Amino acid sequence: MAVTIPTIASGSSPPYFVDIAAEAGVVAPTWCGRDDKPHIMESNGTGLGLVDYDADGDLDLYLVNGWRLDGAEIAERGRDVLYRNEGQGRFLDVTEKAGLGSDAWGSGLAAGDANGDGLLDLFVTNFGTDVLYLNRGDGTFEEHPDSPNLEGWSAGAVLFDSDGDGDEDLYVGGYIECTLEEVLAEKPSLVWEGLDVMLGPFGLEGLGNKFFRNQGGGRFEEATAEAGLEDVGLFYTFGILAADLDGDLDLDIYAANDSNPNYLYSNDGGVFQEVGLWSGAALDEGGSAQAGMGLAAGDVESDGLVDLLVTNFQQDMSTLYRNLGDMIFEDVTRSVQLGGPTFSLLSWGTTLSDLDQDGDLDIFVANGHIYPQADLVADKVGGGFRQPNLLLVDQGGTLVDVSAEAGPGLAVEKVSHGLAVGDIDFDGDLDMAISNVDEPPTLLRNDTKEPGTFLLVDAPLAVRVEAALGDDRWIRHRVIGGSFLSVNDPRFHFGFGDKRQLESLTLIWPDGFRRRLLDVPLNHALKIER
Amino acid sequence: MKPNLKLYVVLGAVALMAMPSVAQKTPTSMVAAYDSLAKIILNVRQAEEDLVRAMLDGHYHGAKAYMKQGMYNEAAAEMALFANEGDNAVAGIRKRLVEGGHHHNAAGEEQGIYEEGYVLVTREAKKEMLASSTAMRQAKDDVAREAAWKEFAAFAEETLAE
Repeated sequence: MAVTIPTIASGSSPPYFVDIAAEAGVVAPTWCGRDDKPHIMESNGTGLGLVDYDADGDLDLYLVNGWRLDGAEIAERGRDVLYRNEGQGRFLDVTEKAGLGSDAWGSGLAAGDANGDGLLDLFVTNFGTDVLYLNRGDGTFEEHPDSPNLEGWSAGAVLFDSDGDGDEDLYVGGYIECTLEEVLAEKPSLVWEGLDVMLGPFGLEGLGNKFFRNQGGGRFEEATAEAGLEDVGLFYTFGILAADLDGDLDLDIYAANDSNPNYLYSNDGGVFQEVGLWSGAALDEGGSAQAGMGLAAGDVESDGLVDLLVTNFQQDMSTLYRNLGDMIFEDVTRSVQLGGPTFSLLSWGTTLSDLDQDGDLDIFVANGHIYPQADLVADKVGGGFRQPNLLLVDQGGTLVDVSAEAGPGLAVEKVSHGLAVGDIDFDGDLDMAISNVDEPPTLLRNDTKEPGTFLLVDAPLAVRVEAALGDDRWIRHRVIGGSFLSVNDPRFHFGFGDKRQLESLTLIWPDGFRRRLLDVPLNHALKIER
Repeated sequence: MKPNLKLYVVLGAVALMAMPSVAQKTPTSMVAAYDSLAKIILNVRQAEEDLVRAMLDGHYHGAKAYMKQGMYNEAAAEMALFANEGDNAVAGIRKRLVEGGHHHNAAGEEQGIYEEGYVLVTREAKKEMLASSTAMRQAKDDVAREAAWKEFAAFAEETLAE
C-alpha cells in the first residue's frame, strides 16, 4: 500500500551540514576494542547525549567511552567525557570538574530526573556495572549509592514515568552475556564472505532486559516481571525508546533486537503487554526478523500517530513502520523508497527530524560496518568498514537521498554509531553529534542556507504538541531515548517552511491536561509550563 | 574340500559359544533403557510437531472466535500469531533451540521453504497469512474482511492438515 509523506510547507532549501568537531574542541576518541575486532563486544561502539546538565539553556555533550585493546591486553581504559557548551561554537572538557570520567567500558546513555529534584541525572550503561549519576545542581555529579544496573553488557536505556506517579522509572536493554576474559581471549571464528570475522550474535546467550520501578526519591527496585516487561526471548537488545504509540497518552516501549523480532510493549497504567509480533512492528513486511540496531519515532504524516523507524544490518533495509492506530503497524519501507538508499549500509543511530524545516520529517542515519574485514570485500557487499552517513528528505511523498549535496559534513566516512540531535548553537535548527568507533566524534552544524521557519518548544513532561494553521497540522510527540544508545535534545522541534505565524499551539500532558496558545509567532524558542 | 568345511564348522561353533558372554556385558536393563531413550529421541520431533500444531490450532480457533464476535483487530492479531508460529515468547524458545543445534526443518530451511526453526508454517504460507492479517486490520467493510479471512483460513487449514 502506498503511503504519502506530505510536504505541507515549502520555503526551505536542502539541508547542509558542516563538521565542526575539531574547531569546537570535541576531540576525544571513543574506543571500542582492537583494530581487527575479533569479539562482538568490539562491534558495539558507544552512545552520546546532548544534555543541558547545568540548566543554563544550552546543550552540552556527554560522550560514553569504551576501551582500547591490544591483543589480549587492555591498552587504554577510555574515560567518558563531558563537554560544556561555551557558546560561539566551542565546547570545553569539564569532565574532572563535574566529577565524571568513568573508565568503565561504556555503552550507552539515558538522561532524566531520577530522584525528583528537578535536575538532570545521567544513567550510563556499561560492559560491567551501570552507573546512575545524580546531578548535585552545582555542575557536579555523584554516583547513586545503589545504582540500578544490569551487570553485564547493557545497551539502550530509558528513564521515563511509566505509571504516572510523577517519578521516572528505568528500563535497560541487555545485549549478550559475556565476560572480559572471553573478550580478551577471542579470535575470529565466523566465516563471512570467505573471511574470518567475529562470531555472533547468534550462538551467544542474550542478556535479559530489566525494568526498575522508582519507589520515590531515586530509590529503584527491579520490577521486570511485575511490570510485564520480561525479556521472554533473551533477545539481543540495542536501541530502546519510549513514546505514546497507541494514543492513550502514556509512554509505551519499543526495543530494537539484533537478529530477532523487535519488542513492542503496550503500557496500561504502568503494566505492559508485549504485542510486537501481532502489532506488525516486530518483523519486516516479509515476516522476517531483522538485525535491529537503532530506532527513531515521529509523526511522519502528522496524523497524530507515532511512526517507527528501525535501522538494520548491511544488505538489509532500514524499516519504516507506519502507525495505523490501535497499536497496529505496517511496514511501508518500499513504498516510501527507504529500501534502496539503506540497503548497502550497516546502520545504527537515526532520527526522524525536520532538518531543513520545510514541515516534514527527514531521516538521518549513522553508518559503519562491524567487520573491519569488510574493506576486503567492499565492492561485493556494497560498503567497507567506514561508511558515509545518510540523509534522506521527503520529495513528493518519497524519500530522496540528498547526502551528496548536503555539505562536507555528509562526506565524512567513519564507523559511526551513536547519534544525538539538538540545537547546539541557538539558531533554531537541528544539529547532530555522532560518535565514531576509535575516532573522535563528528559534530554536524546545520548550515542550511534557507531553512524554513521554526519553533522550539520546551515543555517538560508534555507528551504531545500540536501546531495548527488553517487546515495544516504539525504534530510532535515526546520520544525518550531511541537513536543508538543516545540522548536527543528533549525539546519539541517544528519546521514550518514559509509560514510566519501559527493560529494555535496545543500542548497535551499525560493526564490529559491541555494548554492552548493562540497566534503564536515563529522563529522562537518557547518554554511552557503546564 | 571336506577338511576346510569341517574347519568352518568348528570356527562357527567357537563363535557361537563366545556370543553369550559378550552380550551379557551390557546388562539387559541398560539395553532396555537405551531402547526407551531411542524411542523418545525419535519421538521428540513428532512431539514438537504435535505441540506446535496444538498451538496453531489455538490461534486459529481464537481468530475464528474473534471474527464471530466482530473483534477484527483481535482476530488479525491471532492470525499474525498463527503465521509467526506463536508470539515472542515462542520465538525465544525457537532461538534457543536453533542455537543449540536443533533444526526441525533443516532441509526446508536450506531450500528457503521454512524460516529457521519453524516447524509447520512454510515461508510462503507465513507471508500470505501475514498479508491476510494486515488486510483484516485495514478492511473497511465485511466484504474485505471475508476475503481476508478466506485467504487466511485456506492457508491455516492446509498447514494444520499436513
